[in-house]
Amino acid sequence: MENYNEIKINFEKFITTFKTDVNDLEFRKKSFANFISKGFPVSRDENWKYSPLVQDLKKFSQLNYKKSGANILPNALMENFEHYSIIFADGVLILTDSNDAGLVIKKNNSFLKSVKKAGENPILNLNNAFADQGYLIEVSSNISLTKPIVIYNYYSKNFLSNFCSSKNFILLNEKSNVVVYEKTIYDSSIEYLITSNTEIFLAKGSKLKKYDLNCNNKHSTIFNFVKANLDENSELEYFTFSENINSCRDESIINLNGKNCFADVNAIQLLSNNCDHEIKLQINHNEEHTRSSQFVKSALYDSANAIFQGKIFVDSKAQKTDGYQLSKALLLSDNVKFFAKPELEIYADDVKCSHGSSSGSVDEESIFYLRSRGISKEDAKMMMINGFLGEVIEKITEDKFKNIFFKKLSHNYNDD
Amino acid sequence: MIDIKNLRASVDDKEILKGLNLKIGKGEVHAIMGPNGSGKSTLSYVLSGKEGYNVSGEIQFNKKNLLELNAEERAREGIFLAFQYPIEIPGVFTNNFLRTSLNSVRKANGKVELNAIDFLKIIKEKAKELNIGEEMLLRPLNVGFSGGEKKRNEILQMSLLEPSFVVMDETDSGLDIDALKIVSNGVNSLRDPERSFLIITHYQRLLNYIKPDFVHVLSEGKIVKTGDWKLALDLEDQGYGQFIN
Ligand SMILES: Nc1ncnc2c1ncn2[C@@H]1O[C@H](COP(=O)(O)OP(=O)(O)O)[C@@H](O)[C@H]1O
Ligand SMILES: [Mg+2]
Repeated sequence: MENYNEIKINFEKFITTFKTDVNDLEFRKKSFANFISKGFPVSRDENWKYSPLVQDLKKFSQLNYKKSGANILPNALMENFEHYSIIFADGVLILTDSNDAGLVIKKNNSFLKSVKKAGENPILNLNNAFADQGYLIEVSSNISLTKPIVIYNYYSKNFLSNFCSSKNFILLNEKSNVVVYEKTIYDSSIEYLITSNTEIFLAKGSKLKKYDLNCNNKHSTIFNFVKANLDENSELEYFTFSENINSCRDESIINLNGKNCFADVNAIQLLSNNCDHEIKLQINHNEEHTRSSQFVKSALYDSANAIFQGKIFVDSKAQKTDGYQLSKALLLSDNVKFFAKPELEIYADDVKCSHGSSSGSVDEESIFYLRSRGISKEDAKMMMINGFLGEVIEKITEDKFKNIFFKKLSHNYNDD
Repeated sequence: MIDIKNLRASVDDKEILKGLNLKIGKGEVHAIMGPNGSGKSTLSYVLSGKEGYNVSGEIQFNKKNLLELNAEERAREGIFLAFQYPIEIPGVFTNNFLRTSLNSVRKANGKVELNAIDFLKIIKEKAKELNIGEEMLLRPLNVGFSGGEKKRNEILQMSLLEPSFVVMDETDSGLDIDALKIVSNGVNSLRDPERSFLIITHYQRLLNYIKPDFVHVLSEGKIVKTGDWKLALDLEDQGYGQFIN
């Protein structure tokens, strides 16, 4: 058993300074006790068997929680299209509460009830214990926001802590629509642990498009946990672009609770060097006539490591479920590793579920075809990889963001 | 234009081209006919620089030793292969591919690269001539194209790159008569005293539309008979048997 004394001291310190209500305080203490009783995840645990975090978390037995560093986001990092912004600078939320034409964005110190269940997930327990002030987004019924919301997670060169956690909520009331773009900027070069938990509630007929850009982290270890609950006729379009992420687990649980709701989950892993990125996704079809699609592509260079574990769970009452999953990896060096573990757990009989996974290198015949048209070998390879990943970006239904991610992709190659 | 001497090509231990000789002058159209497996596609690949063959012999192209150039360098020198089976490349859009290709060739030849607008003007016009809809150019390269669309797309690339030596590998196979006419018109409009063609075909049919100056019979990796376009008619009548063994 590891020695968690340092973490305990830190938790005591945190809990005496953080302002929250008595119930939350109790829940945080309970979560911390749960965490301590099990400690960091170990590879014996089936849920963590393939996770890079099992090794990397060992670096953080001395979690040092303190507020520090930047308290602004440099202007140059702001997106130049019109948007509502939510900024975390070195883990500290910078936000002026706003209440504008059906949109509420505010700082939030308390947990919603849905979170407060004793959990099995050790890092989620840690997040429950330590989560600092987060945001809450609420969109009123029948409101379709024209401007997207951009969430900036910025880690500056002055970041001093080695640990930060946040817990956030996105609530869409009936028939509302919003686009949320979340990007993370890592300028710090120290080793730190980030845990985040975003809880999403989609009421009847609402639609959330969430696009995440997570790239170029140097030494941080990251645990992102997203839970989404979808009511009747609601839709979640969720895209994540993970590029050169050193050590990260992106875990999501999506509950399809109402008829005719749809979760469309798409992801790109573009990794080089020793990068290690894990996607763990569980989609629960809890009601009949629900649909889900998972489409993941990975391009791996050098000695990068990518993991995709996607599960489709179909409850016995979820007849007429339509569940789809496809993951494909391009292995661009002999030293990369790609691990895919598709899982189907189906208790209804009238369902349509499929999954597939493949991995391989760039097709030589295609390369020759492009070269025979005067395109250099390097450019041909780049076009192929670009095209391979671009198929995921094609699924984005907002042109503005489709372009942002396509630019990101071509920019990436110009760097090489 | 091109002078091939004692060309041998093998894969692993299997020799496919076994000492092939062929000389094609400027502006000439040559046809190569031959049974399945005689090495026609291999010849087209070896000419266009595909890797994976063990090649010996000589290929002189405009005073250059072609065997020293890789595939993209040959394309930039003016060699073009219309593939028997054009490759489908998901995620790579036809338009972008065509512009990248044209600009790579232009750049290598000291010409300015075309911007998207100028390129679009050119490509639209050429596509129209070949009865290629603009929506086809917005689709991923060859993905979901019919056999005829794929072949027309090959001719489009040819007319865009304006090569000086064109190898066409069974461009006629799988085409109905209308598509065959479109493709042949495309080729005939590119015939030029400065441009030579090597047309590989299985059937005499195509040669009714594109009349060759010479016809060669390829058998077991060698040219075994050469004649004028009437040779194609003989072959159609009597088969290849007479030239083999
Ligand atoms: N890459 C290869 N490896 C092994 N054998 C090959 C390869 N390519 C062609 N061949 C063989 O060489 C012969 C000639 O093939 P090909 O050039 O495709 O003929 P054609 O186009 O005239 O039908 C065939 O027997 C074929 O099986
Ligand atoms: Mg052939």
